[in-house]
Amino acid sequence: MRKLASITFVLLMCSMHLFAQERTVTGTVTDEKDGSPLQGVSVTVKGTNTGTTTGTDGAFRLSVPAGSKSLVFSFVNYESIEMTIGNKTSFKVSLTTTEKSLQEVVVVAYGTQKKSDQTGSLTTLKTKDIENIPFTSVDKGLQGKVAGLQSVATTGAPGSGQTVILRGVGSINASTAPLYVIDGVPINSGDLTRLSITSNALAGLNPNDVESVTVLKDAASTSIYGSRAANGVILITTRKGRSGKTRLRFDTEMGFSNVAFFNQSAHPVNNAGMRELLVEGLMNRYGYTQAQAGTVSDANFYTASGVDTDWLGLVLRQGKQTQHNISIEGGNDKTTFFLSGGYFNQEGVVITSDFKRYNGSINATHKINDKMKIAFRMPASFTRIENPNAGGAFRNPVLSAYFNLPGKNPYNADGTVKITGEFAPGSGIFNPLAVAQYSYRNGRTVQARPSVDYSYNIIKGLNFTSRYGIDYNMLEENQFDSKKHGDGAGTNGRAFAYDTRYFNWTFSNFLDYSKTWFKSGDLTTSAKLGYEAQKSSGYFVSVWSQDFPPTDVLTLPSVAGTPRLASADRSDYTFNSVFSSLRLNYQNRFVVDGSFRRDGSSRFGVNNRYGNFWSVGGTWNVDKEAFLQKISWISQAKLRASYGVNGNAGIGNYIAQGTYGFGANYDQLNGSFPSNPGNPNLTWELNKPMNIGVDLGLFKNRLNLTVDLYKRITTDLLLNEPLSQTTGFTSILRNVGSMENKGIEVTVVAVPVKFKNFQWDVNFNIAFNENKITKLADGQNEIINGVYIYRVGKNFSSFYTRSWAGVDPANGDPLWYKDSKKNSTTNNYNTAERDIVGQSNPKFFGGLSNTFSYKGFSLDAELYYSYGSMLRDSWAFYYQGDGGGAGFGKLKSQLTRWKKPGDIAPNPKNIYGGNLSSSAFSSRFLYDGSYMRLRNLQLSYNFPSEVIKKLKMSNLNFYVRGTNLFTWVKDKNLTFDPEQGLGNTTNLDVYIPKTMTLGVNVTF
Amino acid sequence: MKKVNIKYSFFLLLLVIMGSCKKDFLQQNPYSSLGFDVAIIDEASLQTALNGAYASLRNTNLYGRTIPVIQDLMADNIYVSTKNSGRYLPQWNYQVTLTDGSAAGIWASGYNTILRTNLMFEKGASITGTKVSQYLGEAYAIRALVYFELVKHFAKSYTDDPASLGVPIVTTYNPSLKPARNTVAEVYTQIINDLDAAISKLSATNKSTAFSLAAAKGLKAKILFYKGDYTGARDLAKDVIDNGGYSLVTSAAYNAYWSNPNSRTDKVETLFEVSADPLNNNNFDALARIYTQAGYGDMLCTNELYNLYSATDIRRSVIIDGVRAGTTTQAYIINKYTNSEIGKSNDDDTKVLRLSEVYLIYAESAARTSQEANARIYLNNFLLRRDPTFVGYSSTGSQLIEDIITERRKELAFEGNRWADLNRLKRDITRNTTQYPSTASSLPYTDFKRILPIPQAELDANKNMAKNPGY
Repeated sequence: MRKLASITFVLLMCSMHLFAQERTVTGTVTDEKDGSPLQGVSVTVKGTNTGTTTGTDGAFRLSVPAGSKSLVFSFVNYESIEMTIGNKTSFKVSLTTTEKSLQEVVVVAYGTQKKSDQTGSLTTLKTKDIENIPFTSVDKGLQGKVAGLQSVATTGAPGSGQTVILRGVGSINASTAPLYVIDGVPINSGDLTRLSITSNALAGLNPNDVESVTVLKDAASTSIYGSRAANGVILITTRKGRSGKTRLRFDTEMGFSNVAFFNQSAHPVNNAGMRELLVEGLMNRYGYTQAQAGTVSDANFYTASGVDTDWLGLVLRQGKQTQHNISIEGGNDKTTFFLSGGYFNQEGVVITSDFKRYNGSINATHKINDKMKIAFRMPASFTRIENPNAGGAFRNPVLSAYFNLPGKNPYNADGTVKITGEFAPGSGIFNPLAVAQYSYRNGRTVQARPSVDYSYNIIKGLNFTSRYGIDYNMLEENQFDSKKHGDGAGTNGRAFAYDTRYFNWTFSNFLDYSKTWFKSGDLTTSAKLGYEAQKSSGYFVSVWSQDFPPTDVLTLPSVAGTPRLASADRSDYTFNSVFSSLRLNYQNRFVVDGSFRRDGSSRFGVNNRYGNFWSVGGTWNVDKEAFLQKISWISQAKLRASYGVNGNAGIGNYIAQGTYGFGANYDQLNGSFPSNPGNPNLTWELNKPMNIGVDLGLFKNRLNLTVDLYKRITTDLLLNEPLSQTTGFTSILRNVGSMENKGIEVTVVAVPVKFKNFQWDVNFNIAFNENKITKLADGQNEIINGVYIYRVGKNFSSFYTRSWAGVDPANGDPLWYKDSKKNSTTNNYNTAERDIVGQSNPKFFGGLSNTFSYKGFSLDAELYYSYGSMLRDSWAFYYQGDGGGAGFGKLKSQLTRWKKPGDIAPNPKNIYGGNLSSSAFSSRFLYDGSYMRLRNLQLSYNFPSEVIKKLKMSNLNFYVRGTNLFTWVKDKNLTFDPEQGLGNTTNLDVYIPKTMTLGVNVTF
Repeated sequence: MKKVNIKYSFFLLLLVIMGSCKKDFLQQNPYSSLGFDVAIIDEASLQTALNGAYASLRNTNLYGRTIPVIQDLMADNIYVSTKNSGRYLPQWNYQVTLTDGSAAGIWASGYNTILRTNLMFEKGASITGTKVSQYLGEAYAIRALVYFELVKHFAKSYTDDPASLGVPIVTTYNPSLKPARNTVAEVYTQIINDLDAAISKLSATNKSTAFSLAAAKGLKAKILFYKGDYTGARDLAKDVIDNGGYSLVTSAAYNAYWSNPNSRTDKVETLFEVSADPLNNNNFDALARIYTQAGYGDMLCTNELYNLYSATDIRRSVIIDGVRAGTTTQAYIINKYTNSEIGKSNDDDTKVLRLSEVYLIYAESAARTSQEANARIYLNNFLLRRDPTFVGYSSTGSQLIEDIITERRKELAFEGNRWADLNRLKRDITRNTTQYPSTASSLPYTDFKRILPIPQAELDANKNMAKNPGY
C-alpha cells in the first residue's frame, strides 16, 4: 500500500513537472475476441513511468509528454501491444488473449516451454477439444486426438475406467498407465474403488474445468519424471481466471444414449428358435423322435411356456445424458479468479449403470508484489457411481440377458417381477429385473485436489517456485443383496460396506534460472533444479454381514444378524526425488537440452531403492536458417531428436518386502504365514526411448505436418518368475525380461480451404506401433497366460489358440487344423496344436477430424479408427455352444447350422450337451477387431456479434452433437462392440453408448 | 532488500529442510504383515506361526476337501453325479493330466505348509519358553503328515518300490532352490525322523485339533503301516490304544459324533482333526458341500460300498438312500459331513486320524504278523461299537486280512484313505460301469495313473524335477 502511494506520488510529481509540455490522449481498450471492454489494462508511455489503467468501460485518459513516441498497452494474459502516438489523440485498441498464442507456449513438466525450444515429442489439447464432451472423464475424450495415444474403453458403464497406452505397452506385470499430473501434482489414477466393477479417479474432474492437456511421449519431455515416466506423462492444467470484465458462462447439454454397435445375428434367439435348436439337439444326442424331443424340451426348457421374452430388450434402455456447467472469471492485473460449478448425469444403456457428478472449482492467482505470486486451486467433486457386474457373475444383467431362456417369464401375472418358479432360489441364472429391484451396489466418492503455488522472482531471471498439492479421494461403497432373489438368497440377505481413503500429497520446490548471454542475445540458457517429495496413504475399511431381518427397507450391514468381515488396513508409498534440467538455445536455431532426476521409492527393494534417470534432446529450427527463409512456402521447419532413460514404478506397494501375513487363523486363534517371498533387489523397469521428429509448417502454416519415429526398449521387465513350488512359493517378482516398441506417428493439421466466411480444417493422425518381447526369464522362451502367450520375438498381446477349420460337410463335426501348417484337420480339439493367431492390440490407429465453418455455423466430424487387432468373444462357449450349455440361451446365429450331409454351414451339427468341444476356445471365436467409428459429429451455430450484443451477451452458441453415431466393423460376424479394452476380450459388459445431445453455451 | 533476503533465505532453508527428508521416509512398512526377520521372535509368535501351519492343512487343496475326496473318488467309494459342478471329473474318469488342478493344488499347498513349519524350526531354535518344545513338536508332526500325503499322492507305494522317486525333501527356506526328487525310502525316513522329534517333544494334550503325543504316535503307526513295517505299526498302535487314554465312539454316539462340528477334549475317538470353525472355513468349498445336496452334492456313494453295510450297521446311517438334488435319480447321499450352511454354521472338522483306524491298523498288522487272535479280538471289539448285533469275525489267514481290509474301507469311507490303501496293497481297481465311465472302470496297479503327475508348473520351473512316467 505504501508502495502504491509512493508510486502515485511520483507520478503526480512527474505530471506536474511536465505539465507545460504534455497533451492528453484518450481511448478504449477491448477484447479482440468479443469486443468487450477490458478493465485494468495498463497504458504507459514507452520508456517512461507515465501511465494509467483503464476503467470499467475500458476507457483511459492519459497526459503524454510531448515527443512521446508510442504507448504500450499491457494486461495479464493478453499480448502487449505498442501503438505509435503520432498526431492521434484517440485510440481504439483491442488486445488478443495469450490463449491463442498458447500454441507457441505449451505446458511441460514443471513449467512451460516455447515451441521453438521443444526438443521432445508432445501433443497439447486445448479447452475446445475437451469441454462439453458427453464423456465422464478427460481420458475418454483423448481417443483419436493424439497420435500414438491409444485410449480404449473396456465397458460402456458411465464413470468407468479407460485404458490409456502411449506408444505401445511396455510392461507385462507392472502398470501400463501413464502418469497423470494435475496442475503439477501427480495423482492416484485408475480405479480406486473396491466393490464397484469399474471406476475412474479422473471422472471426478470436470473436463470443462480443464484448460489444456499435454501428452508427453518421449524421453526429452518425460524423463524429468524419472521412475514413473516410462508409460508417458499426461499433464492436465485446470482453468485459470482471466482479468478484465467479469465473465459469466453457462453451458448446458441434454440428450440420450443407446447401444453404439449391435450385430443382429448376435441377438439371443427367440423361443421358437430355442425350441428348434433343443429339439434337434436332443434328437441328435439321444436318437429321440421329434415328438419325444419336443416333450423333453418343453418339460425342461420352457419352450412351450407361451412366453417369448426378449431378455436383452429388458436389460437395455435408453440412457439420459445431462450436464450443466457454470463458471465465473475475472480479476485485474493483480488478482484473477475462476469459479466453476458443474452437474453431470449419465445413465448407461444397461440397467443399474449410472454416474453422477457434482463439482466445484476455485482457481485464484494473486500477485503479492512485483516479485511474489501466489496461486491457489481447489477442484472438488462428489460423484456417485453404480454399475453392474460384468462377465460370469450371476448378477450381471447382460449375462442374464444372454443366458436366460426366452421361455422364462420375468413377470408374475400381476406384473410384479418374478422370483418364484423358474426364478426360485437355486434355479440358476437370476431374473435381472428382480436383482435390479431388490438389490443394489453403488459408490460415492468425494474428491478434492487443492494445491498452492508460491513463486518468487529472486533476481532477474531467477525464480523460485514452491508447490504443495493434495490429491484426496474418499470412497464409500455399499452393496446389498436381498434375500428375496439373487446372490443374497442363500445367505438370508447380505450387505457390504467398504470405505476407502487415499491421501496423497506432493511437495515440490524448484529454481528456474534463465539468462541471455552476449550482447547480441544469441545464446539463452535456462536451468531448473528442484526437489520433490510425495506420499500417498491408503486406508481401507471393509464390513460384510448377512442374515437380514424381514424388511425391504433396511439394507446396511448394521442391521444384519451375522457379521462376516470387519477389517481395516492401510497401504502407503513414498517418492523422494531431486530433478534438474538445462537448456541452451543458440539464436533460436539450435536448442540442446537435458534432464536428470534421482528418484527413490519405498516400493523397491532396499538394495535398489534409488535410481538415476536422464534425457538429452536437440532441435534444429531449420526455418530460422537464411536458406530456408527465402523459401516463402515453408513457414516452419524443425528437426528434433531425443534419447534418455526413465522408469516404471507401477507395482504393489510392499511387493519387494518378504513378509509374514496374518489371518491364517486356526481354532479361533491368530495364525501367521509367509505371505510374500520378497526380493530385496526389486527395482523399476527401465525404459529407454529414442525419438526423432520433424515439424513442418507449409503455406503460411495452412499445412502442418509432424512426424515422429520412435523406438523404446524396456529392460528389467518385472516378471513373476515361476519358482519351484517346493520352496513354498509359486513365483517371485524379478526384474528379468525386456521388450521393445517401435513405431511412427504422423499428424497432419491443414486448412485446405479458407475464405472470408468459409473454412475447412482437417486434423489427421495415425500411429503404427510394433511390439515385441525380446527376453523373458533366463532359459524361458514363452509364458502362456491363459489365451495369450508371451513369446520371445512376438507381440505381447498374441492370442494363443487352436485354429478353427470350419465344419465337416460330411457329418457336421467341428474341425480344427492340426498344426500351423494348416494342411490337415482333426475333429479332436485336444490333438489340434495351439499357435499364435493374431494379436489383441491394433497395428495402427488414429483419428481424422474435419471441421467446416461457414459464418456462425460449424460442422465437425471426427473419426476414430483402429486396424489389425483380433477380438475374442469369451462367452461364446455358452451362447454358441452348438447344443452345449443346453440350459442357456443361444444366439440367433446358431440357427444357421449343419443339418444334413453336404451342408456347408458356419456352425456344427447341433448336439444336446455339445458337439466334440466345438465351442471350446479356438480361432472360431476370434474376430477381426478392425473398426472405424464416427466418434463425434457436431453441428453448432454461433450467433453473430450484433445479435448477442443486443442480448447483452458476449457469446451464444447452440449445438447438436452425436457421439459414436456410426461404427463400421470389418468382420461382419463380430458379436459385440469392437472396443473391448486392451485385452480385446468381450466380457458381457455394459454396452458402449452412442449419444445424441443438444447443447447451449452462453457467455455474459 | 534486506527483507527480501530474509524471505529468500527462509525459502531456501525450507528447500534444504525438505531436501534432507528423513531417511526412513522411503522405508514404508506394510500395515498387515511383518518382515520375515520379526515375524517369529518369541513363544507367542511361534504359536501364531504354528496356527498358520495348521490353518494351511485346512486349505481346500489338502484336508479342506481335495485329499479326502479324491482318495475315495479315484478308488471305488464315491462317484461324480451326472448332474455336477464340474469338480474332480478327471479323478472320476481317469483323465488326470499334467495340469490337473487337484494334483497341482496338493503339491503347492503341501509345500507351502512345509515352508510354514520350516520357518518355525529356523527361528524357533533360538526361542525359549515352556511351550516352545510343544509347539515345535506339533510342527514336526505337521511336516511329517504333509510329506506323507505328498509321497502317497506323487510316488509309488513304499510296499512296491522304496527306491523309486519320491518327492524332494526341503527343510529350509530358499526361494532359488531347485531340488531333485528324493527316493520314497528317503522321504519315509524323513517322516519318521520328524515324528520321532515330535514324539520326544510333545506332551499328552487332549485337544483334538492339535497334535498330541498320542496323535503323533498314532500317525507314526500309520506311516509304518503304509511302509509295510507291520511289526512296528502293530506295537505302536497297541501303545496308543492301551496308553493313549482315548476311547472309541460307540454306536449310540456315532451320529452325534459325526454331526458335531466342534473340536473335542474328551479324548473320544478323534486323535487329530483339522479344525474349521464359523469364521475360519472354506465357505462354498467346504468339504460337506461337495456331499450334501444343499451344496454342490456332486459326490455320491457307490452301490458296492453301500451294500457292504448291514442294515444294523450304524455306519450306514450316514448314507441316505435318497435322490440327487435337482433330479429324480435315486442316489446314496453321503451324510457323514453335515455342517455346511454358508457363513453361518460351524463347518465340519476334517478327521485325519481316529482311534478306530488305530484299531484297524493294529488288527491288520497283527494279522500279518502271526497274532491272529489279537487281531480278531481288537477287530471285533471295535466292530461291536459299529453294529451291536454283529457276532464278530472268526476268519483266519488271508480271509481275516481281507475282512479287516473290508472293514477298513467301511470305517474310513469318505475320509481319504481308500486309494492309498489299494496302492499299499498293490491291488487293481475295479469299478462299476453305471456310476463310472466305461473307459474308467478299471485301473490295474501297474498303470501309470495310479500316482498323480508332478504338476506341469513344477516341471517348468524346476529343471531338476523328474516327471512321473506316463504323463
